[in-house]
Amino acid sequence: MSNRRAGGRGNNRIRGPHSALTDFLAANNISAQEIRDSYRQRLEQSELTGSENAENADNGGASLAQELEGLEEEAVQAESSAMAEERSRKRKRDQDEVIAKIKKGKGSKKAPAKKKKSDSNDGDSDLDDITNMYKKAKPVPGQLENCEVCGKRFTVTPYSKAGPEGGLLCTPCGKEMTKEVKATEKAAKPKVRRQARRKVESNRLDGLNLRGAKTLQQLCIEKLAQHSLDIEEFGELPDRLMNRLSEIFSKQRVMNSRTVPLFLRPELDTVAIHEAAYLESEDYDKIFAISPSVEKLVLRNCCQFKDPNMDYMIEKAQKLKHIFLTGANLVSNDKWIELFLARGKDLESLKLEWLDAAFADQVVQSLVEYCPNLSRLKLERCRQIGVDSIEALTQAKNLQHLTLQFSREIPHERLVNLIQHVGKNLRTLCLENFLDAECETTDDVLNAVHDTCRHLSKFRFTQNNECSDAAYANLFTDWTNPPLRYIDVNSTRDVDNTNPDGPEESVGLASNGFRALMKHSGSKLEYIDISSCRHITHETFAEVFDPANTYPFLREINLSFCPVVDTQVIASIFRSCPNLKKVVTFGCFQVQEVIVPRGIVLIGAPRAQDAIEQFGDVVMDFQREGGRRVGVVA
Amino acid sequence: MATEKKASEYVTLVSEDSFEFVVRRSAAIIAGTIRRSLDPTYNFEEAQKGRVVFPTISGIILEKICEYLYYHEKHAESKDVPDMEIPSELCLELLIAADYLEV
Repeated sequence: MSNRRAGGRGNNRIRGPHSALTDFLAANNISAQEIRDSYRQRLEQSELTGSENAENADNGGASLAQELEGLEEEAVQAESSAMAEERSRKRKRDQDEVIAKIKKGKGSKKAPAKKKKSDSNDGDSDLDDITNMYKKAKPVPGQLENCEVCGKRFTVTPYSKAGPEGGLLCTPCGKEMTKEVKATEKAAKPKVRRQARRKVESNRLDGLNLRGAKTLQQLCIEKLAQHSLDIEEFGELPDRLMNRLSEIFSKQRVMNSRTVPLFLRPELDTVAIHEAAYLESEDYDKIFAISPSVEKLVLRNCCQFKDPNMDYMIEKAQKLKHIFLTGANLVSNDKWIELFLARGKDLESLKLEWLDAAFADQVVQSLVEYCPNLSRLKLERCRQIGVDSIEALTQAKNLQHLTLQFSREIPHERLVNLIQHVGKNLRTLCLENFLDAECETTDDVLNAVHDTCRHLSKFRFTQNNECSDAAYANLFTDWTNPPLRYIDVNSTRDVDNTNPDGPEESVGLASNGFRALMKHSGSKLEYIDISSCRHITHETFAEVFDPANTYPFLREINLSFCPVVDTQVIASIFRSCPNLKKVVTFGCFQVQEVIVPRGIVLIGAPRAQDAIEQFGDVVMDFQREGGRRVGVVA
Repeated sequence: MATEKKASEYVTLVSEDSFEFVVRRSAAIIAGTIRRSLDPTYNFEEAQKGRVVFPTISGIILEKICEYLYYHEKHAESKDVPDMEIPSELCLELLIAADYLEV
């Protein structure tokens, strides 16, 4: 632009008499005429822009552009000199400011118009307009404003908070404000914590805490577990409480090198660490160093229990009688044998689970050989043992409680042989998942139990798809064994997807077997699990749980995946079992809208979407007669 | 205090440092030990006088236990009871007392 002006200067020369000053000024490129002209022009200009501003405010952006062009042309025509140039530059700035103002004015006019449009959709735009009209325009980011609360002047940013009266707040006041808002929100929110609810549900499914407050002991123990790190020692707590504490510490995973010593006292005869996964090898040594008189040792998931620990245990813990270890995979076969050699005479019970790196058949052989007084044995999920172990166990004459779960297939005649040898003294017999694919399906095992066992009170025989219903019926018919307390025959059924109703002659516990079972053991039975026994008919359930029959001790029954079980069956179970606490019916799709009596929990009803377990609240007529009262139990 | 006949609605629990707490009988018998000692069929001295002395329990702990007994009574019929607040420093002593009293 300045170039154009410079070009124009040459065309507009005015000549006349001139003074020395004029000469000088001319020599310096300054002309008095020009100054005068430019002054007059500026006057005109200001008048012009004043009127044009008013016009422009109403016109569109196009007129703005025209005005700009016009101004430029005028500038081209103007007399130019250094001062004029300077002036025009200033003028240009002023103009720019004016233009900016106009533009802004338009913008601010446009914005409410836009707002109006969107508001008109809402329907009450008129009211909004009125209220907006009286509102002070909010300062735009970048401007200065006085804080509404403290009155200090501050720069408005997009993050400035609105005050209670609608004004803006400075940054510190804004922070205060959000804090307060959050605090009130928190206070206003009802204190329903999901976590807490989940915990309650978890307790319910565990069958705990049906109603009323927790016991004071429970409250204290939970509190202690929360503050596990602050506890110096427990003092003289009774064994029972120590075990409970240990269980809860284990459940909460706070059983570690730091907390284990709390559970060790020289005079204690029981050390039970129910979750030892966090313990290091040295911690196990510490156990036997502090509590050498331990008789019963429980270490679950003792992954770091190694050969040297075993050596130390053999050396220190001379009174060991009961050993229960799971996952002790760093102990070698030889060490197990050494243990049985050293402590075998005193050993009364041994429970081992989850061993796959060691513990082979020869260990079981030496176990039987060196531990003549062993009365309780549990071997589950020990991968290396097989038929030879079964063979060895036949010589364990003093066994009273036997629980076996093998990963390898065991021929039936071996298992039958074992039962025939040790069966007559057994109180507990648990055989899980004993199948023999090579052999013909036979009922020999159940027949052997029927013929041999005389003292059983707990019987578990699960995951079996070979023994027939007739065998179960035979087992529980004319059995010289007294009524059982605990029966678990879950998942004994035929597995054939192409024939879901099973073969003609039922496989697994079915109607006849179930009838015989309840007839034999119903009078003393406390717990029964017949889940997945799919071939028990509805008539059988109706007959067994007829109101005429009562099962006075039955506390818990699992009927899951028995498809015929319906609301009627459940209701008759409620009537027949006065001491019932828990009924499990997962996958029984005909159980609907059962009214659960007080004191009983029904778990797994399929259509109870809000609660998978239903707690009985209704006092039924038959409950009133019996005078059964559930409630204040200390 | 409650030296009347056994029908008295309140009983007195006395701590080791001879603090006396007068509580409703219905609440007190929530604790098994107290229930048995107050049972008229056994005719213990405690039952006759309606007054039970605990020579091993301090006043602070007994106060907390009384609080618990009322808390338990209040919530006996309700579900999802909020846990009672227990000061952590009292926890161990309280646990031992609770074990003794069977609450």
